[in-house]
Amino acid sequence: MTHRKVGIIGAGAVGATAAYSLSMMGTCKEIILFDIADGVAEGKAIDIAQSTQYAPQPTIITAAKTPADVKDCDIIVITAGVPRKGDMTREDLLLINAKIIKSVIDDIKVHSPNAIIICVSNPLDVMTYVIHKLTGWDRKRIMGLSGALDGSRMAYQIYQKLGFGAGQTGKLVIGDHGQNMIPLPQKVKVGLVPTTDLLTDEEFAEIIERTKNGGAEIVKHLGTSGYYGPGRAIAFMVESILDDTRSVVSSSVLLEGEYSHSDVTVGVPVVLGRNGIEEIIEMTLNTKTREKFKVSVESIREGIDILEKNGFFDA
Amino acid sequence: MAKGKKVTVIGTGNFGSTVAFILAMNGTCHNVVLRGRNYDVTKGKALDMSQAANAARQHTIVKAAKGPEDMAGSDVVVITAGAPRTPGMSRDDLLLMNADIVKMYAKEIKEHAPDAVVVVVSNPLDVMTYVALKYTGFPRERVLGMAGILDAARMAHFIYEKLEYGAGQIRATVMGGHGDTMVPLPKFTTVAGVPIEDLLDSEEIGEIVKKTRNGGAQIVNLLGDGSAYYAPAKSTTVMVDAILKDTNQIHSCAIMLKDDYGYSDIVSGVPVMIGAGGAEQVIEMTLKNLQVRKFKNSIESVKEMVDKLYELKFFDDL
Repeated sequence: MTHRKVGIIGAGAVGATAAYSLSMMGTCKEIILFDIADGVAEGKAIDIAQSTQYAPQPTIITAAKTPADVKDCDIIVITAGVPRKGDMTREDLLLINAKIIKSVIDDIKVHSPNAIIICVSNPLDVMTYVIHKLTGWDRKRIMGLSGALDGSRMAYQIYQKLGFGAGQTGKLVIGDHGQNMIPLPQKVKVGLVPTTDLLTDEEFAEIIERTKNGGAEIVKHLGTSGYYGPGRAIAFMVESILDDTRSVVSSSVLLEGEYSHSDVTVGVPVVLGRNGIEEIIEMTLNTKTREKFKVSVESIREGIDILEKNGFFDA
Repeated sequence: MAKGKKVTVIGTGNFGSTVAFILAMNGTCHNVVLRGRNYDVTKGKALDMSQAANAARQHTIVKAAKGPEDMAGSDVVVITAGAPRTPGMSRDDLLLMNADIVKMYAKEIKEHAPDAVVVVVSNPLDVMTYVALKYTGFPRERVLGMAGILDAARMAHFIYEKLEYGAGQIRATVMGGHGDTMVPLPKFTTVAGVPIEDLLDSEEIGEIVKKTRNGGAQIVNLLGDGSAYYAPAKSTTVMVDAILKDTNQIHSCAIMLKDDYGYSDIVSGVPVMIGAGGAEQVIEMTLKNLQVRKFKNSIESVKEMVDKLYELKFFDDL
């Protein structure tokens, strides 16, 4: 890891905000944006590069003309994919995005063969699995953005209840990055105080519900998905890897026996450092949470099965 | 728009100087006033720091105080003055010596910076906070002692040494007095929400608690001629930041208890919510039997020292 170079595939709102966050933090030496839509990556790269004139550290921001320009990256963030629209079935969405990921991965394997990949494309856990299958890389090098974002949404909901403690609340959400995610607000602390001394069971239930609907709530207001939260959460993961911080953050990773599951990608707390996933942390889960985790894993596996049934992995 | 913030730091030893330096490097406030016993030395340090602020492209100006009137208009006054703890010296040895010093400065603050929030770091911490409260006559929310943040930082570091990950994310909880009877609460400690009990065994946790309790003394012994100041200074600026930026975040601070955790008229470390007005709320955590006993122990050791000062007629001029 010598270049501190980050490639971002998909310069939509999420990808661009990740690049902007990283430049304001001065985390990387170089960021390269790629987008299939003409001019988008170029325009945003120039805008961000100009904003860095007020940043604490210099960052070089460029746009790739072709996927081949995204080369020798230490980290590649994949935000490419389409959102689910009106009459699209889950199956349709899965197949469309899996195909997009496939073409992205074909390029990465050639041009940035040593990169660590952060998957942001949805459905998140299944797309992370797809990347594992298509690269065949060490599982340490592939992770999906889930808990870092969902955890910040949970911390926000806790703040909404308390009216204090912003920015000092633990972030712990495991499971899939979808309707069966498992926010664990009872486990975290606000500063030095356990949330169990600050919130009632009823409030915890509301926090869990609102965290699960965190993404949908923004869509309701905005008409499109949120991108500040995701962008900053991506930047946090990138920083953890580039700076080898060995920070604990829940991410979607391939399990090989951890939490009694295998051959599935799902969100659990991991240690992020220069090799990617340095360690998978096995928490003690109570029976109820283990049940929920199983449901979550099954929902991800259903998505994987759809792809298998359609022969996606056959080639 | 409010005027730029001003912080006075009393005491220009390693501790006070490092506090002022961190404030200048972070641009936390527009003015820092250093109040030391030797004006030339103080002015030298102030100039050095102001120049460093320019190198760091920060707007903070550090000035040396000629007299107590220069602390006028301070939003926060940090009292670091006091004799340092030397090897073999217990916190109690410092008691009277430092109580006199804190009394003097508290009276100055009352006269010249009557609206400030006072952060006390002189040792023995809880007793000095008590003294500062009595002699400023300020409401309790504006006189706070720095202890729990430092003790928790030390505990977090010792946890990191075992885990080798999670640095900066470990939320340790330490309550009670800043002394041999401090109350580290490993059961309340998490790494990004993961309880440390899932990561370390009880023997390792016991070792961490012991090391935390001994954290200050370990550094005193290693340095040979003084005590720690980097972590103490950073912990102090965490409190200053929280006050100046009105963050409404929770930190463990020493404060006069008023029917909190079952005690009154004694200073001890408890979680408080800090804002522009100081400690805007004391937060009560649910303690288990053993923790309740340890907290009581801690309170009693502070009370003993306060009682000693009353015995010595220290408070007779109130």
